[in-house]
Amino acid sequence: MHKTTLLTMLLLAGLFQAMPAYADDTEAVFGFYCAQCHGTEGKGDGPNVTKDFPVSPRNFTNAEEMNKLSDADLKNVIMDGGPAASKSPMMPPWSKTLSEAQVDGLIKHLRKICACKGKQG
Amino acid sequence: MKPLLLTFLACGLAVLAAKPGLADVGTGKTTFEANKCQDCHSVEKAGAAADIHAHMDTKGPELWYAGSKFQKDWLAKWLVEPTKIRFMLHGMPSMKIGDHAKLSADDAAQVTDYLMSLTSDLVKPGTIKPKKNPKGRLIFTKKMPCSGCHQFPTKKKYDGGRTGPSLVGAGDRLNPDWIYAYLANIDEFKPVRPMPNFVGILSDKDMINVARYVASFKSKK
Repeated sequence: MHKTTLLTMLLLAGLFQAMPAYADDTEAVFGFYCAQCHGTEGKGDGPNVTKDFPVSPRNFTNAEEMNKLSDADLKNVIMDGGPAASKSPMMPPWSKTLSEAQVDGLIKHLRKICACKGKQG
Repeated sequence: MKPLLLTFLACGLAVLAAKPGLADVGTGKTTFEANKCQDCHSVEKAGAAADIHAHMDTKGPELWYAGSKFQKDWLAKWLVEPTKIRFMLHGMPSMKIGDHAKLSADDAAQVTDYLMSLTSDLVKPGTIKPKKNPKGRLIFTKKMPCSGCHQFPTKKKYDGGRTGPSLVGAGDRLNPDWIYAYLANIDEFKPVRPMPNFVGILSDKDMINVARYVASFKSKK
């Protein structure tokens, strides 16, 4: 194999290693765990949100609100539940259920839904 | 030789008489299979879904621990006249759930005997006594709200979410000891499910209180 080709391949392999380990099939993870309350399109209208549901689940399509939150804020709430961010305990903690890779994947997915980057820094 | 043979036969009959369930379980398994229950329900722990996609392919809850989970009288009656426990398959409104098959009274009794023989060592008898306790209620409805996903009985009628199985009548349906064992060992019972794992989040005492509370839910008449 040509030396340049080999070096290129090694460089690319290194780059892939350095990338965060996003979970495969994030859409399936979102649909299975999150859509119950947040809805399949993330609008906060999942099947659990009956007229007696005490709060409105976060609408991820609301870019104005989602831009107030950093990725770290999102990770905090997903892992440790609503009370970790002074929000409702109706958002359960998923730290014992989802892997860090799955949560990282979800955050990317939420940013895609809101088409926003969130609070930086 | 004859007395020895007769003694042997007598001992064998005595064993069968002392464990009437053995013959019933075998008959029940045959009836279970004849009704094609295994087309929707797995009775092997090893067959548990390993990921979301595999879970989505399942059509009914696993039954490898049914004998530890259900109350026998409830199960025998329910198989004859099934009522809705789940509103949607896998907690997804796009996946409609049909009506469960109705068995004849004889088949239901036989299948019940079989299912009650499928148990888990994780369920310790006599652990949980049903009780409407304020600590369990607080966790269930506010602190770690199970009510977000599970319907439960209220003074008016019922409240709660729809993606989890309804817990109205859980006190008649479920073994109280299993409720606690499930909370404490959820990954063992059901590795993939839409419910969070609360091990390490709820204390053991919290789980006991929640189990006691859920076990107090009776069916609305």
